[in-house]
Amino acid sequence: MKNIFKQNKTITRWMNSGNRSVFYLLVIILLAMLAMSFLDPNFFTARNLFNVLNQQATLGIATMGVAIAMIAGCIDLTIGNVLASTAAIAAILLNAGVSDIWVIILTCLSGLVAGVLNGIIVVKTRVDTFIVTLGLMSVYQGIALIIPNGNNIYLQGRFVIFGTYRIAGLVPIPVIYFIIITIIAYLVMRFTKFGRQLYSIGGNPETAYLAGINLDRNKIMAYAISGLFASFTSLIVISRIGQSQPAMGAAYPLEAIAAVVIGGVVLSGGRGTIPGVFLGVILLGLIRNSLNILRVPSFYQYVMLGVVIIIAVALSNIGSNKKL
Amino acid sequence: MSKEGKILLEVKKCSKSFPGVKAFNKIDFNLYEGEIHCVVGENGAGKTTFIKMLSGALQPDEGTIEITGKEYLHLNPALAHQLGIQTIYQEISFAPDLTVAENIFIGNWPINRFGFINYAKLFSEAKKLLDNLKIDLDVEALVSILNIPQKQSVQIARAMAIEAKIFILDEPTASYGKNEIDNLLGLVKQCAENGVGVIYISHHLEEVFDIHDRITVLRDGNKIATHGKNEVSDEKIISEMVGRDVSKFYTRERVKIDYSKEIEFMNFSNGDTVKDVSFKAYKGEILGFGGMVGSGRTELFRLIFGADNRVSGDIVMEGKKVNINNPKQAINKGLSLLTEDRQKTGLILEHSIEWNTILVHLIKSGGPFINERKESKNVRHYIKILDIKTTNIKQIIRNLSGGNQQKVILAKWLYANANIVIFDEPTRGIDIGSKEEIYKSMVQLAKQGKYILMISSDMPELIAMCDRVIIMRRGEITVELNQKQISEENILNHSIGGTI
Repeated sequence: MKNIFKQNKTITRWMNSGNRSVFYLLVIILLAMLAMSFLDPNFFTARNLFNVLNQQATLGIATMGVAIAMIAGCIDLTIGNVLASTAAIAAILLNAGVSDIWVIILTCLSGLVAGVLNGIIVVKTRVDTFIVTLGLMSVYQGIALIIPNGNNIYLQGRFVIFGTYRIAGLVPIPVIYFIIITIIAYLVMRFTKFGRQLYSIGGNPETAYLAGINLDRNKIMAYAISGLFASFTSLIVISRIGQSQPAMGAAYPLEAIAAVVIGGVVLSGGRGTIPGVFLGVILLGLIRNSLNILRVPSFYQYVMLGVVIIIAVALSNIGSNKKL
Repeated sequence: MSKEGKILLEVKKCSKSFPGVKAFNKIDFNLYEGEIHCVVGENGAGKTTFIKMLSGALQPDEGTIEITGKEYLHLNPALAHQLGIQTIYQEISFAPDLTVAENIFIGNWPINRFGFINYAKLFSEAKKLLDNLKIDLDVEALVSILNIPQKQSVQIARAMAIEAKIFILDEPTASYGKNEIDNLLGLVKQCAENGVGVIYISHHLEEVFDIHDRITVLRDGNKIATHGKNEVSDEKIISEMVGRDVSKFYTRERVKIDYSKEIEFMNFSNGDTVKDVSFKAYKGEILGFGGMVGSGRTELFRLIFGADNRVSGDIVMEGKKVNINNPKQAINKGLSLLTEDRQKTGLILEHSIEWNTILVHLIKSGGPFINERKESKNVRHYIKILDIKTTNIKQIIRNLSGGNQQKVILAKWLYANANIVIFDEPTRGIDIGSKEEIYKSMVQLAKQGKYILMISSDMPELIAMCDRVIIMRRGEITVELNQKQISEENILNHSIGGTI
């Protein structure tokens, strides 16, 4: 009896320390998977599950960046267009005969620079981050068109392995990237002072400032990470489709924010966990996969996806203590 | 009674209690048509409670409020508005991109037969109203370009336009210059001449003496006296405002002060609310900062801490000049600031006790990683010495009591090993037990040879705790009281500009 009580206390403590939404998400995901395995025997095969993960890996990596920024109270709407811009850079470099490793380094560097610039603009203008990055979104959309002169750039058979290789013929390499990046993001946000500072800034910027935290520098770093992850994502995408397109990544900002919020990060920042965001990404993928298996026409999928996002967020709110 | 006439407002035996305090105790108060009735009292005397009851934000526990002959048990904001009670704030929800005239008649604009606003009529009526009140403002100017005193006069004009009968002004001249104060007092008198009853609340005795028809003195939620025009001296008023029961004060242990070690704060200004403030602090001393709310003390220490931009100000620490431009630098130089508003500026509410306690230390110390085991051990140590009531260190701060929250903030700065500890209203709104705990820590810090600076509006606290008290008023130091001179009369007198 005493033992049960103690166990309950541990669970309560775990739930309270920001894991509540992780718990709800796990329950929802398991229920969804259970339901799907009844409806379709093919659902619970390793191949299908890896496919779901593979489909979500690109969004997932970019989402980790968005999540880190949002935990610091910064919204980053630029990831989609940064992705398209760096994809064009990568494609041009590949066509110029630059070696793969240098393409990867230079592309990631350009994403990092874009992120740093975003961060500097955000902290210097002191305008709401949503508005500033909305403006920047359009800037990068322009850049994504200017760099390739509005054209798709084909990779001529180069750079295929980076995004399509399957380990042992089964595990897609992007899934490995996604998991590694998730683990790194988790470690950084959970165990480093940098992560702690981002949480503090999002939680209460005034308190953080008076505690000696450099708000500007940390925010710039958060945006830099977001830009870096977006550019890394672009490498996987071009590898998969064999070309760069100026319009790619358009749906990323909203889907990423949806996944982040479903994962339990609040829009104003300060709360939420990386495992939660990971599950948020997975849940979005599962829903899409389920709708495909159920042969729901894609037009209707958009509607249903929206409804599910709202329900998921509402459910995660029920668990929180806030009244308003 | 200097002005006889129709009674506008009659408050009868009104009381209001909050947990642990009787904020307003069986008070009678009345207001005549065309009268300016001033209310004075120390911080916490019950003035704010009074205003809130009249504006309908608080309901009295007992007693009645009679307005123009009709009796009410309590008011609500809509009813207070309907009955013609207007509280005048310095800045209120104006429509800044509309003109002065539109704001004055907001929601009640004259319209022409097509349903559009008749601007000619609007402007001429507004002009007439402003002329009558002797307000010199362009009715076609946008409100957004006005300064605060001008916005306030627009608000008063608006209250006149809707024919409000009772105006409540609470510290209306905070941060005003001499001319602006004179203008406002003139305007208030003009309103009274038009038959409005004015309740005027101020810390500034000279204003009160300039404008009053009657003065009511409140103390600790009790009405002490009501005086008619020119019936009373400022000395008498001050003696009525003070006079608390001294036996209840906390008695602290005295600590030897090392006068050979000093920190000099020189010429701090922000060009607005803090004007050229200089003072010295000594090692092991508890130096108090008294004054009324809004006297510039919080702003001064935010400047010292590097949190706000300053126009001038230097610190010489034990002979060495130090340069502080942001809180990070301040912390590295050994400063700490326990802010007045715990929840807004002192804590991260959604995170744990542990999280909040280690915050400053974490950033101050080197290395990229958090050593959770070591940090937890230290947090437990502070929880124990400060007697923070909690079941575990992972508890979310939001769910703690005010006293425990304040202790966590103190723990945060103790852990950061600050040498200069600035307390801004350290015990406001916290229970007696926690208060004593904080006083004890303060003395302990003094014993360790730290520099303690305490802003407090709680007079018993200043008297009980401080070795020396500096009084500020309108952004300047009015006096420095040594331990023998610290008394309620002296503190109050210099806080409100008395002439004893």
